Amino acid sequence: MRAADGIAIETVDLHKDFRLPHEQRTTFKEHFLHPLKRTQYDANTALAGVSFTVGTGEFFGVIGPNGSGKSTLLKILARIYQPTSGHLRVSGALSPFIELGVGFNPDLNARDNVWINGTLLGLTRKQLRQRFDDIIEFAELERFVDLKLKNYSSGMQLRLAYSIAIQVPFDILLLDEVLAVGDLGFQQKCFATFERMRDEGKTLVFVSHDLEAVAQYCDRTLLLENGVARAIGPTDEVIDLYRVREMVQ
Amino acid sequence: MSAAVEQSERRSLSNSLAHQARVIRVLAAAEFKLKYRESVLGYLWSLLKPLALFSILYVVFGHFFKLRGGLENYPIYLLIGIVLWTFFLDATTTTMVSLVVKGPLLRKMYFPRLIVPVSTTAAAAMTFGINLLAVAAFIAWNRIVPQVDWLLIPLLLLELYLFAFGVAIILSTLYVRFRDMAPIWEVVAQVLFYATPIIYPLTLVPYHWVRVLQMLNPFGQVVEDVRALVLYDNPPGSILTATDVLGPGGRLYSIAIMLAFFVGGLLLFRHDEPSLAERV
Repeated sequence: MRAADGIAIETVDLHKDFRLPHEQRTTFKEHFLHPLKRTQYDANTALAGVSFTVGTGEFFGVIGPNGSGKSTLLKILARIYQPTSGHLRVSGALSPFIELGVGFNPDLNARDNVWINGTLLGLTRKQLRQRFDDIIEFAELERFVDLKLKNYSSGMQLRLAYSIAIQVPFDILLLDEVLAVGDLGFQQKCFATFERMRDEGKTLVFVSHDLEAVAQYCDRTLLLENGVARAIGPTDEVIDLYRVREMVQ
Repeated sequence: MSAAVEQSERRSLSNSLAHQARVIRVLAAAEFKLKYRESVLGYLWSLLKPLALFSILYVVFGHFFKLRGGLENYPIYLLIGIVLWTFFLDATTTTMVSLVVKGPLLRKMYFPRLIVPVSTTAAAAMTFGINLLAVAAFIAWNRIVPQVDWLLIPLLLLELYLFAFGVAIILSTLYVRFRDMAPIWEVVAQVLFYATPIIYPLTLVPYHWVRVLQMLNPFGQVVEDVRALVLYDNPPGSILTATDVLGPGGRLYSIAIMLAFFVGGLLLFRHDEPSLAERV
């Protein structure tokens, strides 16, 4: 269901603070040894008021240095984290691809993992039966279907995860660093799926350090720095600004 | 400071319930499969473990110590206790660590987090189902004829499941905060094993107040009720139930305690749910 107003994602003043304990106290002993001492927390602000909208069918890039809050933002969009404050509205089904994957179980083989993750992302048994071969074929893992995931290379896991993420029913795809460990051949396949998503009117939120790819595919781009939206606008301008700021530092 | 998150999706309520049921089934099946991975006898272990425990306890307590307390059919009395206990222990210990074990999944996808404990307890219930077949075989072999009131047994097992689930989700949220819960629960479970009438009949407990505590424990109430139904209290007075110990309506107390664990567990879980992905 597309929102009538043509907005896929809208965020208003998103904040996210993580409480970082000075010392991790996860055992009773540590609490008993210092019963009077309250655990001290450092508030680490990952996002400090980020507002933007992504239109339906838009390809939206998110760039910024390491630790700028890109992954945290994506996890909030995917409802994995709850924002400390702010407003988030998502219209449509999401398919998340976060931290190089969809959360595989290393002790199960590809078949079982596809079954689990496909189900979690909304596929029925019938749909899974129909799409299973496509998922494996796209990931080029036909020979390794019965191999446990712990014996997969990171490239193989990435291909499988991406293959699942694009085969489930979605309106909005969240991609976090999908190009980081794949080889050239796989990157080409990713780009081919981008073209298809474009034709189908899907929305993409694309987090990447690959500025070439961002420039090529994203309509608009958000530059994050220290949890703040430094710039939002046409991709070329935002990338230019980012390059300048990187050089200055 | 307030946070609002809205998600509009195409799924209707019935669709989303069907979706969650599918997820629970798939996760429970995977859990069951993982438990016996790379073992030659596989699922057979879920049957062999309680039977081995039964054999040794029967020899030691039934034969050496003669703990029967006038029970006509001590072996079945003991087997029912062990099989029910094995389920309770299995459901609570596997669920306790489940949120942490499933951490990679929680950090990468959103789904109602309650699905995790529901699927691990469902996997324990599958094992329990297999073990119940062994109990049924034992009962048939002893030529005990099923009675109409055995239809109450599923209700009692449901009560046991809800109690185990309540305890399990409390343990699972506490385990995210303190890893010490694992050894603590190991010790507490060991104490409960002997504090509950599993090996010995309640008639052998010399103090009334101890019996009262044992029947307030929902596990104790359920196990005695199941035994009283299956063995139809033969000879009379050999199996004491909550009604015998707490008076008429005594069951209501232990059911209330079960509900307190169940609802309290849900509230605690709901409270911690939003931040689970950050903490596991």
